[in-house]
Amino acid sequence: MPLARSIHDEFVALLGAADVLDDPVRTRTYECDGLTGSRVVPELVLLPRTAEDVAGCVRICARHRIPFVARGAGTGLSGGALPVAEGVVIGLNRLNRVLEVDPENRRAVLEPGVTNLEITAAASPYGLYYAPDPSSQQVCTIGGNVAENSGGAHCLKYGFTTNHVLSMEVVLPDGEVVTLGSDTMEQSGPDLRGVFLGSEGTLGIVTKVTVRLLRTPEVMRTLLADFPSVSAGGRVVSDIVAAGIVPAAVEMMDALAIEAAEGATGAGYSLDTPAALVVELDGTVEECEEQFALVKEICDRHGCTRLHIAGSPEERANIWRGRKAAFAAVGRISPDYIVQDGVVPRTRLAEILERIDEMGTDAGLRVANVFHAGDGNLHPLVLFSAAEGQTEQAEHLSAQIAELCVEMGGSLSGEHGIGTDKACSMPRMFGEDDLAVMRRIRDGFDPDHICNPGKLLPTPRLCGEKPGLYRPHPLEEAGLIERL
Amino acid sequence: MTRAAPTTLRPTSAKEVRDAVLDTPGRLAITGAGTATGWAGRAGDDIAATLDLSALSGVIHHNPGDMTVSVHAGTPVRALQEQLAEHGQRLAFDAARVARGATVGGLLATADAGPSALVWGGLRDLVIGTTSVLADGTMVRSGGHVIKNVAGYDMAKLMHGSYGIFGPLVEVVLRLHPVPKAVACVGVDGPVAEAASRVLELMASPLEPIAVEWVSGDPGRLLVRLEGGAQTLPARVERLCELLGADAREVGADAWDAHTSLTDGPHAGGDGDGPALDGAVVRIGCAPTRLAPLVEQLPATAVTAGLATGVATVTVPGAAVAEVHDAVAAVGGTSVLRDRPETLDAPAWGPAPSALALLRAVKTQLDPEARFAAGRFAPWM
Repeated sequence: MPLARSIHDEFVALLGAADVLDDPVRTRTYECDGLTGSRVVPELVLLPRTAEDVAGCVRICARHRIPFVARGAGTGLSGGALPVAEGVVIGLNRLNRVLEVDPENRRAVLEPGVTNLEITAAASPYGLYYAPDPSSQQVCTIGGNVAENSGGAHCLKYGFTTNHVLSMEVVLPDGEVVTLGSDTMEQSGPDLRGVFLGSEGTLGIVTKVTVRLLRTPEVMRTLLADFPSVSAGGRVVSDIVAAGIVPAAVEMMDALAIEAAEGATGAGYSLDTPAALVVELDGTVEECEEQFALVKEICDRHGCTRLHIAGSPEERANIWRGRKAAFAAVGRISPDYIVQDGVVPRTRLAEILERIDEMGTDAGLRVANVFHAGDGNLHPLVLFSAAEGQTEQAEHLSAQIAELCVEMGGSLSGEHGIGTDKACSMPRMFGEDDLAVMRRIRDGFDPDHICNPGKLLPTPRLCGEKPGLYRPHPLEEAGLIERL
Repeated sequence: MTRAAPTTLRPTSAKEVRDAVLDTPGRLAITGAGTATGWAGRAGDDIAATLDLSALSGVIHHNPGDMTVSVHAGTPVRALQEQLAEHGQRLAFDAARVARGATVGGLLATADAGPSALVWGGLRDLVIGTTSVLADGTMVRSGGHVIKNVAGYDMAKLMHGSYGIFGPLVEVVLRLHPVPKAVACVGVDGPVAEAASRVLELMASPLEPIAVEWVSGDPGRLLVRLEGGAQTLPARVERLCELLGADAREVGADAWDAHTSLTDGPHAGGDGDGPALDGAVVRIGCAPTRLAPLVEQLPATAVTAGLATGVATVTVPGAAVAEVHDAVAAVGGTSVLRDRPETLDAPAWGPAPSALALLRAVKTQLDPEARFAAGRFAPWM
């Protein structure tokens, strides 16, 4: 049922008519995030300019029990910002100021719409940077990073968003504004900040974030090494770890991913190699040189066919440009693709890659692999053609791969989240009791379930049910089940 | 009315913990090695039974290749480190009370940490999975055995600093790090304000210290720990000494004993042969640059100050605890009472956080009858 005009007027009174979008053409702009296969046009889109206005919007929603979905840049890949049809989207892009950079205490205070890369840009004049670096860092926002507990190539050594956020100002689903966390790693009581981080927007809206900044390392050494097989590259990673080295990043790409990335960027990857490894070390000059020599030796020992060492910051940037462009570049070699995101214990990488290859062959689809080899975070890219009717097969294969990760002792998601995309797979990873307790946590934050409903947890118990206000489950419509 | 003495239950498996919770009506206290028994608020006097988890001990599964380990919550970290060291690995965690046998579960529940939290964070940053038992007997698992994982709510974080109010931890999964090839420590004497200005320079340098702590004394001493390769560390030590000034010099690892004894000195429980605790130990945290002026204004008889983390442990006269809480709150920090004499009646916490109602709501969801760890967050809840 459409929202009452009086509610629309309440939002207009708070924000002004220009910042309340109800024109279907304009609201359609917000119908999906990076998971473009799922689309829902929201009733209204609200564009507040201040944290107070965000709280005001939420209070109106709470009063009328209107579901709301917070949204930043919309780069999420799991449908975490998918709107609810009779609900509102609260867009946070206008809250995009860097409020403070405090170099002496090595922290920055940010509004949620600040992009990940802008944090480092603001910190770099002081010799500081912000460590978590998702591939979409040029456009993704810190608010979204908080919601998804984003990672990136460098989190093997430096940790994830949760390890870098000190405190947050948060609007709870009843409109109350609270601070979670503190100025230090010390905390008063249970770490509610840690629960909120990675909760995919289901527990509230972040309106201010204080992050830790790290000193820019004295040196960064990056090498690109080719190997005759992905498993040979995997053995290199094992030996690096066994040598007691924690690289800043270890990334691997297979032949298909290399073909796509090189075609798009001309970054200098070899087109005739089955696997390429990017290893980056950083730290003091002394430590880095010693470890770098050891890494080169390990690469040679495992049949490295080409070893390219970045000789300048530009060359280093080029290597990373190729890697970070890999997802988008796959569009060059396939009309459609799905980016999957699963994790396995690193020592099982070779095994799962073989299984993925077999599964792809069985499904008659190609799978390109780009992955964070240091922490077992896979990004299989399932290539398909919607025009040739392969969508369903591709979605099935992609879900199978995620669930295989769980079978191998891993996780459904390493950095893209569960969202609407994998909520139905959650029972593969967690027992009913585990999920029930997560629902109880959610009830503590959001008893009316108006905050980003339908994400992360199967809703409420039966998958296939649409998020938001009640609609009959497909099985209910088919007369196969009854709602009790 | 007379009361029977509370029973102590000593389960040896997660299932026995659940059975104990289900079979014992009323309020339950949780204990492990007993190294933080008196921390935070006082337990209520209507405890039906104490769950002693010290028999729930041992490594469940160590994956050296993946650098992860799962352990029973009652496992002493000291014992764990010995096992991990055989594989050249460690839990990158050095809270002082580890030496007294503190357990993984106890350290996580009390949000304790040591000097190397500067680089590695606390256990909240090292824990990747937990299994806990709730008041209704529900066994809840979150996280897993992989370091990169964003599936579901991070319940392990909720347990960090919970002092057991949601129920006992029974299993914990941790990420590990390699044991460094070499460790060195540089010391420089001076008062805290002088140390603080040196630390500002140090943190602006590329030297990457693992721990930076000022230890009170006459005049006090700044200790800086470096880790690295056997061949390369001497050159970094030299650079560090140059940066800290002419009077800086390499000192032995035993220099940290002074830090340990001030952070984890005499105890209310009287364990060990040391003197009885005279006063109260308060853990405080604030923005790093505010720490030195803050500790200078406190009536502290002993201080360890992480000048780069903003975390300090101070010993003060019992009567001054409320004053400490107020002073810390005034600079936007947080504080909690740790050890104290049995007889001392002092507030355990500073002003309540803005999210108190939320904390209560979560507590009600998980433990509606308030069976666990009553009194730990008094007077907040």
